Amino acid sequence: MKFVPAGVFPFVALLLLHRRLVAGRALLVNSPSTGCPINSLCRSNVHEQTRKQVALLNATAQDLFSLYLKCQGEPFSSETDKLCNPNGVYFPTFRVNRTSEKEVMVAMYKLFAFLNASLGNITRDQEELNPTAKELLDRLHNTTKTTRGLISNLTCLLCKNYNIFQVDVSYGESSKGKSAFKKKQQGCQVLRKYVQVISQAARILLPHLSPA
Amino acid sequence: MWKNSSLCCVLALAILCLTSLICSQEIGSPGEPQNLKCIMHNLHKMICTWDVSSKGRYGQTDFCYTTREKRVEIPVSESSITVSITTNSIYGAAFGTKKFAIHKKDISFVPLTPHILSLTPDFSTSTLNLKWSDNGSVFPYGLDAFWQIEILRKETMEKVTQVTYHSKLTHENTILSWNWTSDMPLECTSHYAKIRCYINVTDFVGHKDWSDWSPVEKVLGKDTEPNGSGVFPQDTVVAVGSDVTICCVHAEDQQIKRMTYGPEIYPLIHLSSRSSAIRVINASASDTSGTNVVCTLSQDEMDGTVLFVGYAPDTPQNLSCETSNFLIIKCTWKPGRPSGLYGKRRTKYSLLERISGKNVSCEVNEMNRERVCGFPVLADQKTYSFTLGVSNPIGQTESSLLVDLTQRVHPKTPEKLTVSGNSSTNVHLHWYINGSFTEIRLLCQIEISSGHSEQKLHNVSMPGGKFSTYTAQLNALHPYTKYQFRVRCSAADHFWRWSDWSRVEEHTTLEAPPARGPDVWRERSPSGRSLKIFWKPLTLSEANGKIVSHEVSCYLLDTLLEYKEVTEPSNSTEIKLGKNDCVISIVAKNHAGSSPPSKITSVELPSDNVKTERAVALGNGIYISWSSYPNVTCGYIVKWCHSSGSEPCSVDWQKFPSNTTDAVMKSALFRPGVRYNFSLYGCKSSGYQLLKNITGYMKELPPKRAPNFTVEETSSDSILVKWEDIPVEDCQGFLEGYRLSFAKGEKDALKPRLSESGNPELKVKNITDLTKKSLRILDLQGKTSYQLDLQAYTAGGVSPPNSLYVVTKEDCKIKDTFYPEIPNPENSKALQFQKNICEGNKTLKTLEMNPCTPNSVEVVETQSAAPKIEDTEMMSPAADTTVPEDGSDSENENHVVVSYCPPIIEEEISNPSMDEPVGSSQVVYIDIQSMYQPQIKAEEEPEIDLVTTAGYKPQMQLPISALKIESRSATEEESDKTAGYRPQANTNAWNMDTPDSPGSVESSNENASFGSPCSINSRQFLIPPKDDEDSPKPTNTGWSFTHFFQNKPND
Repeated sequence: MKFVPAGVFPFVALLLLHRRLVAGRALLVNSPSTGCPINSLCRSNVHEQTRKQVALLNATAQDLFSLYLKCQGEPFSSETDKLCNPNGVYFPTFRVNRTSEKEVMVAMYKLFAFLNASLGNITRDQEELNPTAKELLDRLHNTTKTTRGLISNLTCLLCKNYNIFQVDVSYGESSKGKSAFKKKQQGCQVLRKYVQVISQAARILLPHLSPA
Repeated sequence: MWKNSSLCCVLALAILCLTSLICSQEIGSPGEPQNLKCIMHNLHKMICTWDVSSKGRYGQTDFCYTTREKRVEIPVSESSITVSITTNSIYGAAFGTKKFAIHKKDISFVPLTPHILSLTPDFSTSTLNLKWSDNGSVFPYGLDAFWQIEILRKETMEKVTQVTYHSKLTHENTILSWNWTSDMPLECTSHYAKIRCYINVTDFVGHKDWSDWSPVEKVLGKDTEPNGSGVFPQDTVVAVGSDVTICCVHAEDQQIKRMTYGPEIYPLIHLSSRSSAIRVINASASDTSGTNVVCTLSQDEMDGTVLFVGYAPDTPQNLSCETSNFLIIKCTWKPGRPSGLYGKRRTKYSLLERISGKNVSCEVNEMNRERVCGFPVLADQKTYSFTLGVSNPIGQTESSLLVDLTQRVHPKTPEKLTVSGNSSTNVHLHWYINGSFTEIRLLCQIEISSGHSEQKLHNVSMPGGKFSTYTAQLNALHPYTKYQFRVRCSAADHFWRWSDWSRVEEHTTLEAPPARGPDVWRERSPSGRSLKIFWKPLTLSEANGKIVSHEVSCYLLDTLLEYKEVTEPSNSTEIKLGKNDCVISIVAKNHAGSSPPSKITSVELPSDNVKTERAVALGNGIYISWSSYPNVTCGYIVKWCHSSGSEPCSVDWQKFPSNTTDAVMKSALFRPGVRYNFSLYGCKSSGYQLLKNITGYMKELPPKRAPNFTVEETSSDSILVKWEDIPVEDCQGFLEGYRLSFAKGEKDALKPRLSESGNPELKVKNITDLTKKSLRILDLQGKTSYQLDLQAYTAGGVSPPNSLYVVTKEDCKIKDTFYPEIPNPENSKALQFQKNICEGNKTLKTLEMNPCTPNSVEVVETQSAAPKIEDTEMMSPAADTTVPEDGSDSENENHVVVSYCPPIIEEEISNPSMDEPVGSSQVVYIDIQSMYQPQIKAEEEPEIDLVTTAGYKPQMQLPISALKIESRSATEEESDKTAGYRPQANTNAWNMDTPDSPGSVESSNENASFGSPCSINSRQFLIPPKDDEDSPKPTNTGWSFTHFFQNKPND
């Protein structure tokens, strides 16, 4: 389950840490049980909430990407395929043909934990490069918030359903210290991949989360 | 060690002997030294070099310096020297000696070759730093040294630039430094530098020359590094308008496909096998995130950089510093033109206070137009000298300001405003200001507002406190008034700015007794036994509270006859006096007390011959005026009454001083079109006297409707109409006259009003004599339908019309009577007359009789398109048309000349007084109309009716008016009978009863028209209609139309 590509820093993400970050999204409704420290955070509608969050991210991803391209200047919009080819950057693997729901949930967690960190980097870079692009910054902030809520709900589900409270997460390469062009390009590559993967996640996650 | 072929067999030792000779000799024998050259590198020694002839002998004779080189360093002498060079063999045998005389001018000065200590690149700024030593210790102090530096680029070492650097030698070895900024990033390709020098030894008389070039130092480009690649420069900021070179360094096995700057592809400049560049000329400002420069390589790989093109910071404008609390100084300014640079490249500000030396960095919001920076107030410092430093990666600037802080106080908004007071005229205000103002006095402004007075500002100055509450007292307020207060403050001694206003606080003062008594009037009842007393309510500012009642007292001398207390809201009362008079006193009361009394006497002085005059409508008021009455000593009163529907009218009045003789009466109750009646009273010592009545309107309007009118009488050529008066309430102004319009026309619901029809035959009668109530319209055509419109008018306009349709009666038989056939001896058999002429051949202009001897008669037909208003008295201001002053309309007349055979009248003229007949045929024609209609005297109506004078004209021209008013006197009628054309028959014998019976309006008996003479405009009457045989005929049978047609065939 541990996937650490070259050049990517491995982290052990404690779900407890995520609980702190997104307090208020996943509410405490039961007393804690042994094993999973935060399974009691899950609310009854966590499935529905997770599904809606994925659907929301999927619905807004393309607009976010388009707006991002527009704000970076040419030739990002005209040469998107070449400039934003995501092959050169790390992105968590998210295979469609996973066998178990547990694997899907873990992969999902890794994906959104990575995205959360990447969106933070992109937001920071764009606040520096495009401080006047209010709409882009708002969308980045909103997407990051939704991602955090999603991570919280996935944390609940992993704890509650599979008693998993520790997942190794790779966050990829930080853009800090890179040139402005590299920052733009890296954000573009991540967001482009995000658009592709979030649609897969939506297709996979929604049936899994749908009530039987 | 001596391997040189020429010297391997002999060891030549050159021996130089220096003697103090002024000149030297040169001996050119073999083996002798020759070509001596001496060079100085410093001012202490010179280096001399020479050649030796190949055939020289070996040996040694004498020497001063022995050297195995053809070079020797000789100390520099102050004067010329002679050098003797002897060449010896290795065994000491001298085989050549030569003497050289060395003069100062023969010595060259060439500085030593400089040595580059370092060549250091700064890739971020594309700058090379060159360091070298000036070797100045060997030269005297103060010599000028010139350093020529050459920069080369690329593997081919192309010269980029050459500069000369100047320095002063200081007799010490000094490290010199020189920076050069490349127009191309240093990463793009290798750069090289070399240097040489020239020292200007001023007192050196020989030849001075540049040193040799130093060895080249180099800075290698990225294209020389094995893994070097990238687009350069990285994240560079340049000014708008700059020329920028950007290069792309790539691996050996790659090729550059293209380079783009923003969306544009630029031509490539080859630098090396691994590097190419583009040159952007006059770069324009970037977008917020910079301009992307992208290098596309083979295999579609891409690399890039971002160029940020913006402006140097603008000089801050309107720098201003102030304090609101003496804790923080807030400086504001406007940044001017945006730099276009954001994030870490943004413009940064710092505030330096020069007196204290304190410097603060300003955190400013780039999105705000106005920038703010705070600086702490320093203890014991009153004056501040601020310098606002502004910088960004492109440039920097600054702006300065010297302020005395006590003169730059802008207090914060006063808070916690409260109002207290238990008085009808005084209150206390309290408020708090957040700040320490112990250094200054404060000036606070209190705004006082109330519903019924103008806004007032009250200033109060007070010593400043430290976070204190301030108090102010307000006097002279009005009782029972709801006030709104708010406060703002500033520095008292050196005003800078007001604070914002505090929130509004409300307070109502207590009541006080009414300030004055009410305005009073009184009226006797018609019976005279009671007196009605009226008073006007006091204004809010006079009442000083809520009026609860009025006390009415009636005194005869000091005796109280009657007392009444009338509670609100009544403003009148009635007291029974009988025939007595008294002085009425009225006092208004509120909860705080009573007003001073208002007094008025009930005495009404008798008035004689009171006239009624008209007032002038001003639109927004009614202007009245009066003469000055000498006995009026205590003013005038104008009284009127407002009527509102069925209720009795409410009395109103206005008082004027005795010296007033006119006034504009205004009231919100005055309405346009309503007549108001004013009574002017004079106040005399003994009582009030009615002086005159005045009636008028605020604004006159057109009458609401036209008068009702009827047709009293109709004949074949006239209509008599009568109308009624219009009620005053319908007049809406002072009636000025009536307009009667008429024209031919059938009743048709779709027809427009006559005045709007554009009918060219429309005629308008303007009646300005308002006593006239009827009008006879003359000169109409028989058996013709006419439309009559009657309107009334005032100064405000014309009323809507009342319309009638009337058909005139028909009477063609009269022609037989009045115009009998007059035989013409010459043309007796030639009478030709068209049959049925009444039935409508309108093209026939007049009677034609052929054959005859024609006389020319001019027939004038009026074809005026505009209606004519026939009035000589007064033209209505609202009249649609006007009549020329001379009464003629000659320009519009159509003159038609027709043949006419004048009839011969055999009978004597009935009027013997006509002693001067006119006409070439010696026939006197008497006006046909004079038979029926009394004529207006020429003196009275000098203008001739154009209609009646058009067309056929009798040869005897008489002034005739078409307008005949029924009220004319019989005497006039009688006199008119003697004038003009007279019928040849005895008209007294006619039976006029039947034809003159009144014709009904829109009567079905249209064909019954008969009796009136036909208009002479029309010739149709001359042929009677066939079905008119039953019409009444004149009793006179002496002459008829039947005789006239006697000779016609088929008759």
